[in-house]
Amino acid sequence: MTPKQSILIIEDEKSICSFIETTLTANGYKVQTASTGQKGLSIATSLCPDLILLDLGLPDMDGLDIIQKIRSWSSLPIIVISARTQEREKVNALDSGADDYITKPFGTSELLARIRTALRHYQHISDLKGSSAVPVYQYDGLTIDFDKRLVTLNGQTIHLTQIEYKLVTLLAQNSGKVLTYDYIINHIWGPYADNNNQILRVNMAHIRRKLEANPAEPNYIFTEIGVGYRMQESQS
Amino acid sequence: MWKRLENTKFWRHPVARNITVCLGILAIATGAAAPVAQFSTNDTVNVAMIYILSVLMIARYTDGYIPGIIASVVSTFFVNLFFTYPYMELNFTLEGYPATFLCMLTIALITSAATSRMKEQSRILNERDKLLMEAEKEKMRANLLRAISHDLRTPLTSIIGISSAYIENNQSLSGEEKDRMVQNIQEDANWLLNMVENLLSVTRIRDGDTRVNKSPEPLEEVVSEAVQRFRRRLPDAIVTVQIPDDFIMIPMDATLIEQVLINLMENAYYHGNPSKPIKLSSFILDNRACFQISDQGPGIPDEALSSIFDGSPSSSQSSDSHKGMGIGLSICKTIVSAHGGTIKAGNLSSGACFTFNLPLGENTNDTKTKYFDH
Repeated sequence: MTPKQSILIIEDEKSICSFIETTLTANGYKVQTASTGQKGLSIATSLCPDLILLDLGLPDMDGLDIIQKIRSWSSLPIIVISARTQEREKVNALDSGADDYITKPFGTSELLARIRTALRHYQHISDLKGSSAVPVYQYDGLTIDFDKRLVTLNGQTIHLTQIEYKLVTLLAQNSGKVLTYDYIINHIWGPYADNNNQILRVNMAHIRRKLEANPAEPNYIFTEIGVGYRMQESQS
Repeated sequence: MWKRLENTKFWRHPVARNITVCLGILAIATGAAAPVAQFSTNDTVNVAMIYILSVLMIARYTDGYIPGIIASVVSTFFVNLFFTYPYMELNFTLEGYPATFLCMLTIALITSAATSRMKEQSRILNERDKLLMEAEKEKMRANLLRAISHDLRTPLTSIIGISSAYIENNQSLSGEEKDRMVQNIQEDANWLLNMVENLLSVTRIRDGDTRVNKSPEPLEEVVSEAVQRFRRRLPDAIVTVQIPDDFIMIPMDATLIEQVLINLMENAYYHGNPSKPIKLSSFILDNRACFQISDQGPGIPDEALSSIFDGSPSSSQSSDSHKGMGIGLSICKTIVSAHGGTIKAGNLSSGACFTFNLPLGENTNDTKTKYFDH
């Protein structure tokens, strides 16, 4: 058995903290908790956890500062915990280096899935330093072969335009993770692209019509309005 | 410059302002009358008209009757002094003069009095309108509060009841019973959370004016996210979704419209037949995006149709917490109205049907403003 992975929870609400701690311990993680940003930072630097769960509304520090401080010395996965109505904070947190976010209130299965995804992505990056990421994306009939540049749905080849293919592969290589509008625009259209996300959303609509049976009930690419897009995690 | 003048302390003092307005307008009138009199001698009719116009303006832009009356008298004297023979001399006794000047004075006085009264009346009307609107808002707020306390109390009672029963009878309860009790608590807590989220949405509608932060959002993304969130909360519910093939952008606050869709679907789930599918369809009609949520339940009783969005709990359902969608529907109405749309409830042959629409408007390019500029 692999040694237990350790998770640091930085959260000031005692009841939420203890509920997360119970869940994670029961699922085989080693858990440390910190009730303030200062404590969290010092535990993070001294113990180097495998993942950090960070509440954005801490009493002593701005969550964004914590993300930036940690990012200055480590790329360990950070998952941000936020309230539903704070789209802007979520986007800022993701753009300043958080790996993912989870909206309060969340179920335990959702939390565990996010943690697994973040840990796996981190693992991939450290395993495959230099080489390209996973060679194939595969989920429920949809296959993307990154080497052959081939997208198939239930065995049928799907024809995508250059931009559409780039978008799908970007999302697929980060499957399970939410990508913000700005992140996607930067990667597809370059840093000098017009900051208007209309063109991105039109392209996503085209992709949906090619991949999804019913664009209103997507199976592969999900919208997180106000934040970005998330692709269903690959099964390969 | 004018704005700056309006904001000075001097300008806000009523007497000082009235005098300034009077003098200013009279000066302009005199300035305008001079060339008229110069080019066409004996054209005193036009000169008199100019002064009467100036009296009217003075009555319009000053407070009370006095400035108008003073201006009337001064104008009459000015016309006599500057523009009628003998020039630069007051003389009301020449042939025909008494009648002319008396007429002018009377017309000026009546005009100024009528204008002042009109102004006063429109002010009173405005105030009455404002009071009425305030009363209407107060009534809505009271209704909402009543609905909230009603809808919140029931699940809270059940949570408190079940949890104390659990603690008191811990020994005698079987594992299965305990599981069911905790499940009930979870259900009620989830329902409460939904209610709180509803109330939070309403605070996104800025106080005072009923306007929202709109940005163009694709119809399909909003619908799919709403359905996804709804399914996560009620995994047993069956929903069929139908949207137009075209790519449609609608200016809206997506969080709020999602809330409306979720509320209506939840309403359909609890009031309709949970084992039959809920149908969510959307279409374009008259430059408006329409959303229709229909269920296959017993429908809405006729007597409830008229007041269904008012937020007042109907008496027949008062004992059942989950069925009391009082607040949910009234919040839907608030949100849709704030977007400039309309919502209505009705019955189809198969069950209840809620329809709301949103104006499509101009396709503005301010997508970013909502998330990054405020």
